[in-house]
Amino acid sequence: MKVDVQSLGTFNRLAHEGAEQATQSLCQMTGLDAVVDVTKITLVDRADVGDQLGDGEYVGVQFAFDGELAGDTVLVFDRAGSETIVESLVPGGSDDEAMARSSVEEIGNIMMSGFIDGWADFLETTIEHSPPEYVAGDGSAMLPDPPADAERSQVFVFKSEIEWVGESVSFYIYMFPEYDPLADVMARTADTEDDAIPIDKLEVFNEMTKDGTQQAAANVEMMTGIETDAEVTRLSFAPIEDVPKQVGTDTYVGTVVEFTGVPSGFLLVLFDEASAVHIAEAMMPVEMDADELTDQHKAAIEELGNIMTSGFVDGWANVLQTSVEHTPPRLVHDMGRAVVDPLAAQVGQHQEHAFIIDSEMRTDDIAFGAEIHALPNETELRQALDELLVERADETEADVETIF
Amino acid sequence: MKVYDGTTAESEPATQPERVKVGIAESKVADGDALLTTSGLGSCLGVAVYDRSAAVAGLVHVMLPSIDEMEGDNDAKFADSGIRALVADMERRGADRERMEAKIAGGSDMLDFSENGSGIGVRNVETGRRTLAEFDIPIVGEDVGGDHGRSLRLETTSGDLIVKSANRDPITL
Repeated sequence: MKVDVQSLGTFNRLAHEGAEQATQSLCQMTGLDAVVDVTKITLVDRADVGDQLGDGEYVGVQFAFDGELAGDTVLVFDRAGSETIVESLVPGGSDDEAMARSSVEEIGNIMMSGFIDGWADFLETTIEHSPPEYVAGDGSAMLPDPPADAERSQVFVFKSEIEWVGESVSFYIYMFPEYDPLADVMARTADTEDDAIPIDKLEVFNEMTKDGTQQAAANVEMMTGIETDAEVTRLSFAPIEDVPKQVGTDTYVGTVVEFTGVPSGFLLVLFDEASAVHIAEAMMPVEMDADELTDQHKAAIEELGNIMTSGFVDGWANVLQTSVEHTPPRLVHDMGRAVVDPLAAQVGQHQEHAFIIDSEMRTDDIAFGAEIHALPNETELRQALDELLVERADETEADVETIF
Repeated sequence: MKVYDGTTAESEPATQPERVKVGIAESKVADGDALLTTSGLGSCLGVAVYDRSAAVAGLVHVMLPSIDEMEGDNDAKFADSGIRALVADMERRGADRERMEAKIAGGSDMLDFSENGSGIGVRNVETGRRTLAEFDIPIVGEDVGGDHGRSLRLETTSGDLIVKSANRDPITL
Protein backbone atom coordinates (compact mmCIF):
# COMPACT_ATOMS: atom_id res chain seq x y z
CA MET A 1 0.00 0.00 0.00
CA LYS A 2 1.11 3.48 -0.81
CA VAL A 3 -0.28 6.65 0.65
CA ASP A 4 0.01 9.94 -1.05
CA VAL A 5 0.00 13.23 0.71
CA GLN A 6 -3.09 14.31 -1.17
CA SER A 7 -5.21 11.44 0.08
CA LEU A 8 -3.86 11.75 3.61
CA GLY A 9 -4.95 15.39 3.45
CA THR A 10 -8.38 14.41 2.17
CA PHE A 11 -8.80 11.77 4.86
CA ASN A 12 -7.71 14.16 7.53
CA ARG A 13 -10.25 16.75 6.45
CA LEU A 14 -12.92 14.10 6.27
CA ALA A 15 -12.24 12.86 9.77
CA HIS A 16 -12.25 16.45 10.95
CA GLU A 17 -15.57 17.24 9.29
CA GLY A 18 -17.07 14.03 10.66
CA ALA A 19 -15.96 15.02 14.14
CA GLU A 20 -17.44 18.48 13.66
CA GLN A 21 -20.75 17.03 12.61
CA ALA A 22 -20.74 14.72 15.61
CA THR A 23 -19.89 17.63 17.90
CA GLN A 24 -22.71 19.71 16.47
CA SER A 25 -25.19 16.95 17.26
CA LEU A 26 -23.86 16.90 20.79
CA CYS A 27 -24.17 20.65 21.18
CA GLN A 28 -27.70 20.68 19.82
CA MET A 29 -28.84 17.96 22.17
CA THR A 30 -27.19 19.22 25.31
CA GLY A 31 -26.96 22.96 24.84
CA LEU A 32 -23.28 22.63 25.72
CA ASP A 33 -20.65 24.29 23.64
CA ALA A 34 -17.76 22.28 22.22
CA VAL A 35 -15.33 22.65 19.34
CA VAL A 36 -13.14 20.18 17.50
CA ASP A 37 -9.65 21.13 18.45
CA VAL A 38 -7.48 18.91 16.32
CA THR A 39 -7.75 15.91 14.03
CA LYS A 40 -4.82 13.83 13.01
CA ILE A 41 -3.93 10.60 11.35
CA THR A 42 -1.31 8.67 13.22
CA LEU A 43 0.76 5.62 12.50
CA VAL A 44 1.69 4.03 15.79
CA ASP A 45 2.70 0.73 17.34
CA ARG A 46 -0.29 -1.42 18.15
CA ALA A 47 0.79 -1.57 21.78
CA ASP A 48 0.97 2.20 22.11
CA VAL A 49 -2.47 3.04 20.78
CA GLY A 50 -4.27 5.20 23.30
CA ASP A 51 -1.26 5.90 25.48
CA GLN A 52 -2.32 9.55 25.49
CA LEU A 53 -5.33 8.64 27.55
CA GLY A 54 -3.02 8.04 30.52
CA ASP A 55 -4.51 6.29 33.55
CA GLY A 56 -7.77 8.22 33.74
CA GLU A 57 -11.21 6.70 34.03
CA TYR A 58 -13.27 6.86 30.85
CA VAL A 59 -16.69 5.97 29.54
CA GLY A 60 -17.98 5.98 26.03
CA VAL A 61 -19.68 4.33 23.15
CA GLN A 62 -18.20 1.98 20.62
CA PHE A 63 -19.33 0.82 17.19
CA ALA A 64 -18.08 -1.61 14.65
CA PHE A 65 -18.53 -0.45 11.07
CA ASP A 66 -18.42 -2.37 7.86
CA GLY A 67 -18.62 -1.62 4.16
CA GLU A 68 -16.14 0.13 1.95
CA LEU A 69 -14.32 1.00 5.14
CA ALA A 70 -14.35 -1.37 8.08
CA GLY A 71 -13.15 -1.25 11.62
CA ASP A 72 -14.09 0.17 14.99
CA THR A 73 -14.77 3.64 16.19
CA VAL A 74 -15.18 4.84 19.73
CA LEU A 75 -16.24 8.02 21.45
CA VAL A 76 -14.35 8.57 24.69
CA PHE A 77 -15.35 10.86 27.55
CA ASP A 78 -13.53 11.23 30.80
CA ARG A 79 -15.71 10.86 33.91
CA ALA A 80 -16.13 14.58 34.46
CA GLY A 81 -17.03 15.14 30.83
CA SER A 82 -19.64 12.39 30.83
CA GLU A 83 -21.20 13.81 34.01
CA THR A 84 -21.47 17.21 32.36
CA ILE A 85 -23.32 15.63 29.46
CA VAL A 86 -25.64 13.57 31.60
CA GLU A 87 -26.50 16.60 33.75
CA SER A 88 -27.36 18.60 30.66
CA LEU A 89 -29.76 15.91 29.44
CA VAL A 90 -31.17 14.81 32.78
CA PRO A 91 -30.44 17.22 35.63
CA GLY A 92 -29.43 15.18 38.67
CA GLY A 93 -29.05 12.11 36.46
CA SER A 94 -25.36 11.53 36.97
CA ASP A 95 -25.98 10.03 40.42
CA ASP A 96 -28.08 7.30 38.88
CA GLU A 97 -25.71 4.84 37.24
CA ALA A 98 -28.29 3.37 34.84
CA MET A 99 -29.55 6.80 33.85
CA ALA A 100 -26.01 8.06 33.31
CA ARG A 101 -25.24 5.09 31.17
CA SER A 102 -28.28 5.40 28.96
CA SER A 103 -27.63 9.11 28.49
CA VAL A 104 -24.09 8.44 27.33
CA GLU A 105 -25.37 5.72 25.03
CA GLU A 106 -28.00 7.98 23.55
CA ILE A 107 -25.69 10.89 22.91
CA GLY A 108 -22.98 8.56 21.63
CA ASN A 109 -25.36 6.94 19.21
CA ILE A 110 -26.38 10.24 17.67
CA MET A 111 -22.88 11.63 17.53
CA MET A 112 -21.30 8.60 16.00
CA SER A 113 -24.00 7.98 13.41
CA GLY A 114 -23.21 11.45 12.12
CA PHE A 115 -19.54 10.62 12.08
CA ILE A 116 -19.96 7.41 10.09
CA ASP A 117 -22.49 8.98 7.71
CA GLY A 118 -19.98 11.69 6.87
CA TRP A 119 -17.54 9.06 5.68
CA ALA A 120 -20.18 7.19 3.74
CA ASP A 121 -21.28 10.41 1.98
CA PHE A 122 -17.77 11.16 0.90
CA LEU A 123 -17.15 7.67 -0.39
CA GLU A 124 -20.59 7.64 -2.02
CA THR A 125 -21.41 4.35 -0.46
CA THR A 126 -23.16 3.02 2.58
CA ILE A 127 -21.30 2.03 5.69
CA GLU A 128 -23.19 -0.20 8.07
CA HIS A 129 -22.58 0.07 11.74
CA SER A 130 -23.38 -2.13 14.68
CA PRO A 131 -25.62 -0.98 17.54
CA PRO A 132 -23.77 1.23 20.00
CA GLU A 133 -22.06 -0.55 22.83
CA TYR A 134 -21.43 1.18 26.13
CA VAL A 135 -17.82 0.85 27.23
CA ALA A 136 -15.98 1.90 30.37
CA GLY A 137 -12.40 1.47 31.42
CA ASP A 138 -9.13 2.98 32.55
CA GLY A 139 -6.79 4.62 30.07
CA SER A 140 -6.12 2.71 26.88
CA ALA A 141 -8.05 -0.32 28.18
CA MET A 142 -11.02 1.79 27.16
CA LEU A 143 -10.22 1.34 23.48
CA PRO A 144 -10.98 -1.69 21.34
CA ASP A 145 -8.05 -3.76 20.15
CA PRO A 146 -6.92 -2.45 16.79
CA PRO A 147 -7.85 -4.72 13.88
CA ALA A 148 -5.85 -7.93 13.96
CA ASP A 149 -3.18 -8.13 11.33
CA ALA A 150 -0.39 -10.62 11.71
CA GLU A 151 1.77 -8.83 9.18
CA ARG A 152 1.85 -5.43 10.78
CA SER A 153 2.91 -4.13 14.13
CA GLN A 154 1.83 -0.57 13.38
CA VAL A 155 -1.70 0.65 12.88
CA PHE A 156 -3.39 3.75 11.53
CA VAL A 157 -5.41 5.69 14.05
CA PHE A 158 -7.67 8.60 13.19
CA LYS A 159 -8.16 10.73 16.25
CA SER A 160 -10.08 13.93 16.92
CA GLU A 161 -9.82 15.86 20.12
CA ILE A 162 -12.84 17.93 21.05
CA GLU A 163 -12.74 20.59 23.71
CA TRP A 164 -15.52 21.99 25.87
CA VAL A 165 -15.56 25.73 25.46
CA GLY A 166 -14.36 27.46 28.59
CA GLU A 167 -13.28 24.22 30.29
CA SER A 168 -10.03 22.38 30.21
CA VAL A 169 -11.59 18.96 29.61
CA SER A 170 -11.65 17.24 26.27
CA PHE A 171 -13.14 14.17 24.73
CA TYR A 172 -12.04 12.09 21.81
CA ILE A 173 -13.24 10.24 18.76
CA TYR A 174 -10.97 7.38 17.75
CA MET A 175 -11.32 5.42 14.55
CA PHE A 176 -9.37 2.26 13.81
CA PRO A 177 -9.79 1.33 10.17
CA GLU A 178 -8.86 -2.12 8.97
CA TYR A 179 -5.82 -2.03 6.79
CA ASP A 180 -6.95 -3.57 3.50
CA PRO A 181 -10.18 -1.63 2.97
CA LEU A 182 -8.37 1.56 3.97
CA ALA A 183 -5.61 0.81 1.49
CA ASP A 184 -8.14 0.28 -1.28
CA VAL A 185 -9.98 3.49 -0.57
CA MET A 186 -6.78 5.49 -0.25
CA ALA A 187 -5.50 4.13 -3.53
CA ARG A 188 -8.75 5.18 -5.13
CA THR A 189 -8.68 8.73 -3.79
CA ALA A 190 -5.03 9.25 -4.68
CA ASP A 191 -4.55 11.73 -7.50
CA THR A 192 -1.23 10.52 -8.66
CA GLU A 193 1.29 7.86 -7.90
CA ASP A 194 4.14 10.34 -8.10
CA ASP A 195 4.15 11.55 -4.57
CA ALA A 196 2.99 8.35 -2.94
CA ILE A 197 4.93 6.85 -0.07
CA PRO A 198 4.91 3.12 0.49
CA ILE A 199 3.53 2.42 3.94
CA ASP A 200 6.30 0.05 4.88
CA LYS A 201 8.75 2.91 4.52
CA LEU A 202 6.70 5.05 6.87
CA GLU A 203 6.79 2.14 9.27
CA VAL A 204 10.53 1.92 8.98
CA PHE A 205 10.78 5.62 9.56
CA ASN A 206 8.76 5.16 12.72
CA GLU A 207 11.08 2.37 13.78
CA MET A 208 14.15 4.45 13.30
CA THR A 209 12.59 7.32 15.17
CA LYS A 210 11.95 4.94 18.00
CA ASP A 211 15.59 3.95 18.01
CA GLY A 212 16.53 7.60 17.96
CA THR A 213 14.30 8.16 20.97
CA GLN A 214 15.85 5.27 22.83
CA GLN A 215 19.22 6.72 22.07
CA ALA A 216 18.11 10.07 23.41
CA ALA A 217 16.74 8.35 26.51
CA ALA A 218 20.04 6.52 27.00
CA ASN A 219 21.82 9.84 26.85
CA VAL A 220 19.46 11.24 29.48
CA GLU A 221 20.24 8.32 31.73
CA MET A 222 23.95 8.69 31.22
CA MET A 223 23.89 12.34 32.21
CA THR A 224 21.35 12.26 34.98
CA GLY A 225 21.11 8.70 36.24
CA ILE A 226 17.40 8.89 35.54
CA GLU A 227 16.18 5.85 33.72
CA THR A 228 13.12 6.36 31.57
CA ASP A 229 10.63 3.51 31.50
CA ALA A 230 8.38 4.21 28.61
CA GLU A 231 9.11 5.62 25.23
CA VAL A 232 6.38 6.09 22.68
CA THR A 233 6.84 7.18 19.11
CA ARG A 234 4.23 8.31 16.64
CA LEU A 235 4.24 9.58 13.11
CA SER A 236 1.30 11.87 12.53
CA PHE A 237 -0.08 13.82 9.65
CA ALA A 238 -2.05 17.04 10.09
CA PRO A 239 -2.75 20.39 8.42
CA ILE A 240 0.07 22.83 9.11
CA GLU A 241 -2.16 25.06 11.26
CA ASP A 242 -2.81 22.14 13.61
CA VAL A 243 0.86 21.47 14.17
CA PRO A 244 1.27 23.84 17.16
CA LYS A 245 -1.63 22.06 18.85
CA GLN A 246 0.52 18.96 19.20
CA VAL A 247 1.95 20.67 22.24
CA GLY A 248 0.04 21.86 25.29
CA THR A 249 -0.69 25.45 26.23
CA ASP A 250 1.40 25.22 29.42
CA THR A 251 4.84 26.65 29.74
CA TYR A 252 7.65 24.40 28.56
CA VAL A 253 11.42 24.51 28.77
CA GLY A 254 13.65 22.97 26.17
CA THR A 255 15.73 23.37 23.07
CA VAL A 256 15.07 23.84 19.38
CA VAL A 257 17.42 23.16 16.49
CA GLU A 258 17.12 23.42 12.77
CA PHE A 259 18.54 20.37 11.01
CA THR A 260 19.76 20.35 7.46
CA GLY A 261 20.27 17.60 4.94
CA VAL A 262 17.57 15.41 3.50
CA PRO A 263 15.18 15.87 5.16
CA SER A 264 15.67 19.29 6.68
CA GLY A 265 13.41 20.62 9.37
CA PHE A 266 13.17 21.40 13.06
CA LEU A 267 13.62 19.34 16.17
CA LEU A 268 12.33 20.29 19.59
CA VAL A 269 13.12 18.76 22.94
CA LEU A 270 10.58 19.95 25.51
CA PHE A 271 10.14 19.43 29.24
CA ASP A 272 7.27 20.68 31.33
CA GLU A 273 8.58 23.11 33.95
CA ALA A 274 8.47 20.68 36.87
CA SER A 275 10.31 18.02 34.88
CA ALA A 276 12.87 20.58 33.76
CA VAL A 277 13.68 21.50 37.36
CA HIS A 278 13.91 17.83 38.37
CA ILE A 279 16.12 16.74 35.55
CA ALA A 280 18.35 19.78 35.70
CA GLU A 281 18.96 19.18 39.40
CA ALA A 282 19.82 15.58 38.71
CA MET A 283 22.64 16.90 36.52
CA MET A 284 23.98 19.35 39.07
CA PRO A 285 26.78 18.50 41.45
CA VAL A 286 25.17 20.34 44.37
CA GLU A 287 21.66 20.28 45.73
CA MET A 288 19.71 23.28 44.58
CA ASP A 289 16.34 22.53 46.11
CA ALA A 290 14.81 25.36 44.15
CA ASP A 291 11.24 25.23 42.97
CA GLU A 292 11.84 27.80 40.33
CA LEU A 293 13.78 27.52 37.16
CA THR A 294 17.09 29.37 37.52
CA ASP A 295 19.72 30.18 34.93
CA GLN A 296 21.70 27.18 36.12
CA HIS A 297 18.72 24.95 35.45
CA LYS A 298 18.39 26.43 32.00
CA ALA A 299 22.06 25.86 31.23
CA ALA A 300 21.67 22.23 32.24
CA ILE A 301 18.57 21.85 30.05
CA GLU A 302 20.40 23.37 27.13
CA GLU A 303 23.19 20.83 27.53
CA LEU A 304 20.75 17.98 27.89
CA GLY A 305 18.70 19.13 24.90
CA ASN A 306 21.85 19.19 22.83
CA ILE A 307 22.76 15.65 23.75
CA MET A 308 19.25 14.31 23.26
CA THR A 309 19.12 15.99 19.85
CA SER A 310 22.41 14.40 18.84
CA GLY A 311 21.26 10.97 19.92
CA PHE A 312 18.01 11.33 18.06
CA VAL A 313 19.46 12.71 14.86
CA ASP A 314 22.21 10.08 14.80
CA GLY A 315 19.56 7.38 14.79
CA TRP A 316 18.14 8.88 11.60
CA ALA A 317 21.45 9.50 9.92
CA ASN A 318 22.48 5.90 10.46
CA VAL A 319 19.44 4.58 8.67
CA LEU A 320 19.46 7.17 5.91
CA GLN A 321 23.20 6.76 5.51
CA THR A 322 23.54 10.48 5.21
CA SER A 323 24.78 13.10 7.55
CA VAL A 324 22.16 15.20 9.25
CA GLU A 325 23.66 18.43 10.55
CA HIS A 326 21.99 20.64 13.07
CA THR A 327 22.40 24.17 14.43
CA PRO A 328 23.43 24.76 18.04
CA PRO A 329 20.38 24.42 20.30
CA ARG A 330 18.37 27.49 21.15
CA LEU A 331 16.97 27.48 24.62
CA VAL A 332 13.24 28.13 24.89
CA HIS A 333 11.12 28.81 27.94
CA ASP A 334 7.65 29.81 26.83
CA MET A 335 4.10 28.70 26.11
CA GLY A 336 4.33 25.36 24.33
CA ARG A 337 2.22 26.34 21.36
CA ALA A 338 4.00 29.64 20.90
CA VAL A 339 7.27 27.71 20.65
CA VAL A 340 6.01 25.44 17.89
CA ASP A 341 4.16 28.18 16.04
CA PRO A 342 7.12 29.92 14.40
CA LEU A 343 8.51 26.54 13.30
CA ALA A 344 5.19 25.49 11.77
CA ALA A 345 5.01 28.87 10.02
CA GLN A 346 8.49 28.42 8.55
CA VAL A 347 7.64 24.95 7.28
CA GLY A 348 4.20 26.21 6.24
CA GLN A 349 5.71 28.55 3.68
CA HIS A 350 6.23 25.53 1.44
CA GLN A 351 3.52 23.04 2.36
CA GLU A 352 -0.07 22.85 3.57
CA HIS A 353 0.20 19.63 5.54
CA ALA A 354 2.97 18.26 7.67
CA PHE A 355 4.31 15.02 8.99
CA ILE A 356 5.07 15.34 12.67
CA ILE A 357 7.22 12.92 14.54
CA ASP A 358 6.45 12.79 18.25
CA SER A 359 8.27 10.88 20.91
CA GLU A 360 7.63 10.88 24.59
CA MET A 361 9.57 9.49 27.45
CA ARG A 362 8.30 9.07 30.99
CA THR A 363 9.48 7.59 34.20
CA ASP A 364 7.44 6.30 37.09
CA ASP A 365 9.93 7.09 39.86
CA ILE A 366 9.81 10.86 39.76
CA ALA A 367 7.68 13.34 37.94
CA PHE A 368 9.55 13.47 34.69
CA GLY A 369 8.39 13.77 31.15
CA ALA A 370 10.16 14.81 27.97
CA GLU A 371 8.82 15.21 24.49
CA ILE A 372 10.70 15.25 21.23
CA HIS A 373 8.97 16.66 18.20
CA ALA A 374 10.41 16.73 14.71
CA LEU A 375 8.92 18.71 11.89
CA PRO A 376 10.57 17.67 8.63
CA ASN A 377 10.12 19.29 5.25
CA GLU A 378 7.51 17.08 3.63
CA THR A 379 8.96 16.92 0.11
CA GLU A 380 12.40 16.12 1.47
CA LEU A 381 11.03 13.51 3.83
CA ARG A 382 9.43 11.83 0.85
CA GLN A 383 12.74 11.98 -1.01
CA ALA A 384 14.58 10.51 1.97
CA LEU A 385 12.05 7.70 2.20
CA ASP A 386 12.36 7.11 -1.52
CA GLU A 387 16.04 6.54 -1.10
CA LEU A 388 15.60 4.47 2.01
CA LEU A 389 16.34 0.81 1.70
CA VAL A 390 13.92 -0.91 4.00
CA GLU A 391 16.38 -3.52 5.19
CA ARG A 392 18.55 -0.82 6.68
CA ALA A 393 16.20 -0.26 9.58
CA ASP A 394 18.15 -2.62 11.79
CA GLU A 395 21.18 -0.38 11.57
CA THR A 396 19.87 2.31 13.86
CA GLU A 397 21.68 0.98 16.90
CA ALA A 398 23.76 4.10 17.40
CA ASP A 399 26.84 3.50 19.47
CA VAL A 400 27.21 5.88 22.42
CA GLU A 401 30.97 5.75 22.00
CA THR A 402 30.74 7.21 18.54
CA ILE A 403 28.63 10.12 19.68
CA PHE A 404 30.93 11.52 22.33
CA MET B 1 -26.08 35.09 19.99
CA LYS B 2 -27.80 37.56 22.27
CA VAL B 3 -27.31 41.22 21.64
CA TYR B 4 -27.22 43.62 24.51
CA ASP B 5 -27.02 47.35 24.24
CA GLY B 6 -24.74 49.09 26.68
CA THR B 7 -27.39 49.95 29.26
CA THR B 8 -28.81 46.46 29.51
CA ALA B 9 -25.37 44.98 29.97
CA GLU B 10 -24.64 47.33 32.85
CA SER B 11 -27.89 46.62 34.61
CA GLU B 12 -27.22 42.89 34.38
CA PRO B 13 -23.73 42.53 35.77
CA ALA B 14 -24.29 38.84 36.48
CA THR B 15 -24.51 38.00 32.79
CA GLN B 16 -21.49 35.98 31.74
CA PRO B 17 -20.00 37.15 28.47
CA GLU B 18 -19.87 34.45 25.86
CA ARG B 19 -16.41 32.94 25.38
CA VAL B 20 -15.36 32.37 21.82
CA LYS B 21 -12.15 30.54 21.09
CA VAL B 22 -10.22 31.51 17.99
CA GLY B 23 -7.82 28.84 16.78
CA ILE B 24 -4.79 29.20 14.57
CA ALA B 25 -5.80 30.31 11.09
CA GLU B 26 -9.29 31.08 12.33
CA SER B 27 -11.34 34.25 12.43
CA LYS B 28 -14.35 34.93 14.64
CA VAL B 29 -16.75 37.84 14.92
CA ALA B 30 -19.03 38.50 17.88
CA ASP B 31 -21.70 41.02 18.60
CA GLY B 32 -22.78 41.95 22.08
CA ASP B 33 -20.86 40.99 25.18
CA ALA B 34 -18.25 38.37 24.37
CA LEU B 35 -14.68 37.39 25.07
CA LEU B 36 -12.71 36.37 22.03
CA THR B 37 -9.59 34.44 23.00
CA THR B 38 -6.65 32.98 21.17
CA SER B 39 -3.53 31.34 22.52
CA GLY B 40 0.00 30.46 21.59
CA LEU B 41 0.98 33.26 19.25
CA GLY B 42 4.64 32.99 18.36
CA SER B 43 5.41 34.48 14.97
CA CYS B 44 1.66 34.38 14.32
CA LEU B 45 -0.18 37.69 14.53
CA GLY B 46 -3.43 38.39 16.33
CA VAL B 47 -5.49 41.21 14.83
CA ALA B 48 -8.39 42.55 16.90
CA VAL B 49 -10.84 44.89 15.18
CA TYR B 50 -13.92 46.45 16.75
CA ASP B 51 -16.62 48.98 16.08
CA ARG B 52 -17.71 50.11 19.51
CA SER B 53 -20.91 51.84 18.49
CA ALA B 54 -22.15 48.84 16.54
CA ALA B 55 -20.89 46.52 19.32
CA VAL B 56 -19.28 44.24 16.77
CA ALA B 57 -15.77 42.91 17.26
CA GLY B 58 -13.59 40.35 15.59
CA LEU B 59 -10.31 38.55 16.10
CA VAL B 60 -8.20 36.74 13.55
CA HIS B 61 -5.11 34.58 14.28
CA VAL B 62 -2.97 34.56 11.15
CA MET B 63 0.07 32.41 10.51
CA LEU B 64 1.74 33.73 7.36
CA PRO B 65 1.93 37.14 5.65
CA SER B 66 0.29 36.83 2.26
CA ILE B 67 -2.06 34.50 0.47
CA ASP B 68 -0.38 35.54 -2.79
CA GLU B 69 2.81 33.78 -1.78
CA MET B 70 1.34 30.32 -1.78
CA GLU B 71 -1.66 28.18 -2.52
CA GLY B 72 -4.32 28.08 0.09
CA ASP B 73 -8.04 28.38 0.40
CA ASN B 74 -8.20 29.46 4.03
CA ASP B 75 -8.25 33.26 4.15
CA ALA B 76 -7.73 33.33 7.91
CA LYS B 77 -4.33 31.71 7.58
CA PHE B 78 -2.77 34.82 6.02
CA ALA B 79 -2.46 38.40 7.30
CA ASP B 80 -3.69 40.13 4.16
CA SER B 81 -6.62 37.89 3.23
CA GLY B 82 -7.44 37.29 6.91
CA ILE B 83 -7.90 40.99 7.69
CA ARG B 84 -9.88 41.60 4.49
CA ALA B 85 -12.22 38.72 5.28
CA LEU B 86 -12.57 39.86 8.90
CA VAL B 87 -13.55 43.40 7.90
CA ALA B 88 -16.07 42.07 5.38
CA ASP B 89 -17.51 39.68 7.95
CA MET B 90 -17.86 42.48 10.51
CA GLU B 91 -19.59 44.72 7.99
CA ARG B 92 -22.08 41.96 7.29
CA ARG B 93 -22.80 41.97 11.02
CA GLY B 94 -23.51 45.69 11.07
CA ALA B 95 -20.11 47.24 11.69
CA ASP B 96 -18.81 50.16 9.63
CA ARG B 97 -15.16 50.32 8.57
CA GLU B 98 -15.19 54.09 9.14
CA ARG B 99 -15.65 53.47 12.84
CA MET B 100 -13.37 50.45 13.18
CA GLU B 101 -10.26 50.51 15.32
CA ALA B 102 -7.61 47.80 15.46
CA LYS B 103 -5.13 46.42 17.97
CA ILE B 104 -2.43 43.98 17.01
CA ALA B 105 -0.24 41.62 19.03
CA GLY B 106 2.18 38.81 18.28
CA GLY B 107 4.59 38.61 15.37
CA SER B 108 7.46 37.62 17.64
CA ASP B 109 10.75 36.79 15.98
CA MET B 110 11.48 33.96 18.39
CA LEU B 111 13.02 30.85 16.83
CA ASP B 112 13.47 32.49 13.51
CA PHE B 113 16.09 30.43 11.75
CA SER B 114 16.01 32.32 8.48
CA GLU B 115 19.45 33.65 7.71
CA ASN B 116 18.59 36.37 5.26
CA GLY B 117 15.68 38.72 4.89
CA SER B 118 13.12 39.41 7.56
CA GLY B 119 11.52 36.66 9.55
CA ILE B 120 7.91 35.61 9.34
CA GLY B 121 6.92 37.48 12.51
CA VAL B 122 8.19 40.80 11.15
CA ARG B 123 6.55 40.21 7.78
CA ASN B 124 3.26 39.26 9.44
CA VAL B 125 3.27 42.58 11.31
CA GLU B 126 4.20 44.57 8.19
CA THR B 127 1.53 42.94 6.09
CA GLY B 128 -1.00 43.40 8.89
CA ARG B 129 -0.27 47.13 9.09
CA ARG B 130 -0.42 47.54 5.33
CA THR B 131 -3.73 45.72 5.03
CA LEU B 132 -5.36 47.69 7.86
CA ALA B 133 -4.14 50.86 6.14
CA GLU B 134 -5.97 49.79 2.96
CA PHE B 135 -9.19 50.21 4.92
CA ASP B 136 -7.97 53.30 6.82
CA ILE B 137 -8.45 51.41 10.06
CA PRO B 138 -6.19 52.99 12.72
CA ILE B 139 -4.03 50.79 14.94
CA VAL B 140 -4.71 52.18 18.41
CA GLY B 141 -2.69 49.66 20.38
CA GLU B 142 0.04 47.13 19.68
CA ASP B 143 2.41 44.70 21.34
CA VAL B 144 4.47 43.08 18.62
CA GLY B 145 7.90 41.58 18.04
CA GLY B 146 10.24 40.53 20.82
CA ASP B 147 11.19 36.94 21.46
CA HIS B 148 8.32 35.56 23.48
CA GLY B 149 4.91 34.01 22.93
CA ARG B 150 1.56 35.63 23.66
CA SER B 151 -2.06 34.77 24.34
CA LEU B 152 -4.87 37.25 23.76
CA ARG B 153 -8.28 38.09 25.14
CA LEU B 154 -10.47 40.65 23.41
CA GLU B 155 -13.33 42.12 25.42
CA THR B 156 -15.83 43.09 22.78
CA THR B 157 -17.72 45.71 24.78
CA SER B 158 -14.68 47.78 25.71
CA GLY B 159 -12.31 46.86 22.89
CA ASP B 160 -9.70 46.05 25.54
CA LEU B 161 -7.12 43.55 24.32
CA ILE B 162 -5.35 41.75 27.17
CA VAL B 163 -2.00 40.29 26.21
CA LYS B 164 -0.56 37.51 28.35
CA SER B 165 2.94 36.08 28.16
CA ALA B 166 4.65 33.25 29.98
CA ASN B 167 7.28 35.36 31.67
CA ARG B 168 5.70 38.78 31.90
CA ASP B 169 2.70 40.38 33.60
CA PRO B 170 -0.38 40.78 31.41
CA ILE B 171 -0.80 44.11 29.67
CA THR B 172 -3.97 45.74 28.43
CA LEU B 173 -4.00 47.46 25.08
